[in-house]
Amino acid sequence: MQLLRTLLVCLLLLAPLPALAYDILVLQSLREKGYDEAVKGVKRECAATMRTVVLSDYAETDITRIIREEHPRLVIAVGDRALEVAEKQRNTPVLYMMALHAKPHQRGAVSGVGMLFDPARCLTVFESIGSKRVGVVCDPSKSGAYLRRAQVAARRSGIELVVREVHSPKETPSMLDSLRGKVDALWMLPDVTAVSPESTEAYFLFSQGERVPLVSFAEFYLTMGGAIALGIDRFDIGKQLGAMAQSALEGTPVESLAPQPPRRVMLRVNEGVLRRLKISIAGGG
Amino acid sequence: MKSLLKPRLTKNFRFRLYLIFTATIALLTAAFASFYVVTEVNGFRSTLEREGRLLATVLAQNARLPLFAENREALALLAAGTARYPSVLFVSISNTEGRVLTEVKNPKDTGSGAIDMRVEVTSPGLVASPEAVLLGHAPVDEKRVIGRVDLRLDTSGAQERLKKLVAATLAIGTLFWIVVSLLSYQILKRVTSSFNLLMHGIEEIGSGNLSARVNLDSDDELGRGANAINAMAASLELRELENLSLQEELLKAMKLEVQEEKKRVMARLIHTNKMTSLGLLLSSMAHEINNPNASIRFSGHIIAKIWADVVPLLDGVWREEGDFYLGGIPFQKARGALADNAAKIVENSERIARVVQGLRDYGVGDGARLRPDLEVNGAVAAALSVLACQMQQDIWLKTALGNDIPVITGNQHQIEQVLINLILNAMQSFPDGRGEVLLTTRHDCIRSEVVVEVEDDGVGICAETMERLFEPFFSTKLDRGGSGLGLYISQYIVAEHGGRLQLTSTPGKGTLARVILPVGGPAQKGEGAGR
Repeated sequence: MQLLRTLLVCLLLLAPLPALAYDILVLQSLREKGYDEAVKGVKRECAATMRTVVLSDYAETDITRIIREEHPRLVIAVGDRALEVAEKQRNTPVLYMMALHAKPHQRGAVSGVGMLFDPARCLTVFESIGSKRVGVVCDPSKSGAYLRRAQVAARRSGIELVVREVHSPKETPSMLDSLRGKVDALWMLPDVTAVSPESTEAYFLFSQGERVPLVSFAEFYLTMGGAIALGIDRFDIGKQLGAMAQSALEGTPVESLAPQPPRRVMLRVNEGVLRRLKISIAGGG
Repeated sequence: MKSLLKPRLTKNFRFRLYLIFTATIALLTAAFASFYVVTEVNGFRSTLEREGRLLATVLAQNARLPLFAENREALALLAAGTARYPSVLFVSISNTEGRVLTEVKNPKDTGSGAIDMRVEVTSPGLVASPEAVLLGHAPVDEKRVIGRVDLRLDTSGAQERLKKLVAATLAIGTLFWIVVSLLSYQILKRVTSSFNLLMHGIEEIGSGNLSARVNLDSDDELGRGANAINAMAASLELRELENLSLQEELLKAMKLEVQEEKKRVMARLIHTNKMTSLGLLLSSMAHEINNPNASIRFSGHIIAKIWADVVPLLDGVWREEGDFYLGGIPFQKARGALADNAAKIVENSERIARVVQGLRDYGVGDGARLRPDLEVNGAVAAALSVLACQMQQDIWLKTALGNDIPVITGNQHQIEQVLINLILNAMQSFPDGRGEVLLTTRHDCIRSEVVVEVEDDGVGICAETMERLFEPFFSTKLDRGGSGLGLYISQYIVAEHGGRLQLTSTPGKGTLARVILPVGGPAQKGEGAGR
């Protein structure tokens, strides 16, 4: 079936038909509900014509050729793989979203909306619950830049970030163990090294054992014992990127468009955990 | 004593029931006890296994993070904690490559057996990577094996427990069996007491004592059965009494009948004896009469001869001297009268001789001598002469004798006897002694038979009597001197002559007796029959 689809696409691409004219080529890593929500947000905010290519539908996709032949004015990469593929060409500016591993300072005309909130915004949550020493476990190779920004913001807020660096998921439990008695809150970053499926449990055991609130990055973790979740709004991210795309199409150079963190924070709390930990959010959350 | 007791016991319903009850209870108790022991042992073993699996699972859960982090110290602590359980002999935690990260052995005597338990340590399910969580993936319950926990459990406790359980179950089972058997005996004793009463009553009745009764006062099935048996016994007793009564009556009746029959037989014997005596008397009388009668007849002949010789002489005297008297009678009258009287003397004497001869022949008989020239009309006349003195004035005997009747072969005396019997019967058939008897003889040329008919207009013979007419000693006139042999002998005689004796009668109108004799006699008839 996949082979048939590939052959069909190749046939369409090779056919001497006049190229379809559109403004934005949306490269989507795979068919995913979260990606679809974000793309909907883009379409809501940006009225440009678009063509969507889902990379997982094809065994191999020659994006460079597509762009060369179809001349889109902008490429929107949805997901890390799409960003990786889009970055292979240099002619068309790229806007990305839903890419966890996107670097803040990409080379060339690449910008977009990241998936990590501004650390200052996250730290306000710790401020609101009165935490002064916040434990963070992260892989410097993946979350180093973000951590540095967070440390700057923390210093500004008077919060001490007690950082433990891990280079393998196996190190997470012991690193968390090393935080015992040294923190009064734990910040779970979306770091794939620090937070692996095998070690995720350690965060909640630590939180439970040390009776410190765990602030995570998704509502899902509230069900496992997290106290507060700062979640992203994928549709809003799409809209945010749509505005950037509109701006780019209107003539703003993409290079001048700085990468943005998600603008909307979806704060969720586990009332039970907060009550058990006797924590209240200042200002009513 | 034992040998006597054994068959009695084995045939005792209560004992059999008790035996069945106790055996059933023993079997059930054994079955339940076995089932209980097996269930308990299995339950204990499964509890042990469950406990071990739970321990291993808990250990696997607790060891998940230390195992993932390969924290040997933490794993050793966890393993030691698990090994503290008394039933745990051995604990081992190893990673997926099979490398043992920690191991604890309990220095216990493993005894009779152990259970090995292995539980895999898996990563927590329903936990996704941060990327997936951010993308809003639904959590997938995908568990990845990261190691395993091995546990060995001691089962010697189970063996000990099994022994105690078996002992306790045996003791309780035996106690239960004894108690229930005793209770069963008491219940059976109570239940079968009615049955025993019933059986005793039935046996008593069955032995013939129908006045015995089952003394069972209850309204259950046995009570109803006892009532039914009592009713049956009462009914049988009543029937028995009735039978006895009937038997006695029958015996009495039989005795009476035998006595009456005896009387009848004796009467017949007496009558026969009388007849025999009468025959002898007749013979004797005939002899006594014949002698003087012969003298009278001889005297008559002599008188007649003398008179014949005297008459010419007296005629000469008469002619010469005139008439004179003899015995006061003028000679001319006396001449004829004397001759006539002499002839009468002879004639009557001969008649006397014939009558006497007839009586003699009737009484003594002249054997089975057959005459080839027997004249039936002559036999009829002889019979009538014998019966002459029996004739009554109110009975009119008419005869219509055929003229051309041929002679037959037969015994005149026997034929006369037949005719006398028939005529006497006809004469006795008139209830008031008044009637008409018609005696006819004729020749049936076609059949070559001589037929003698005696017909009367008397009371006739009823059908019941008609059936028994030819039975010997059957008579409706036994009280009037009948012997019951007349018709029987007559039929015998006629049959001996090759003929038939037929009787037809209409009650109230009269009877016709027909004697049919073959002209050729019995030989011809026999030949005819032979042909």
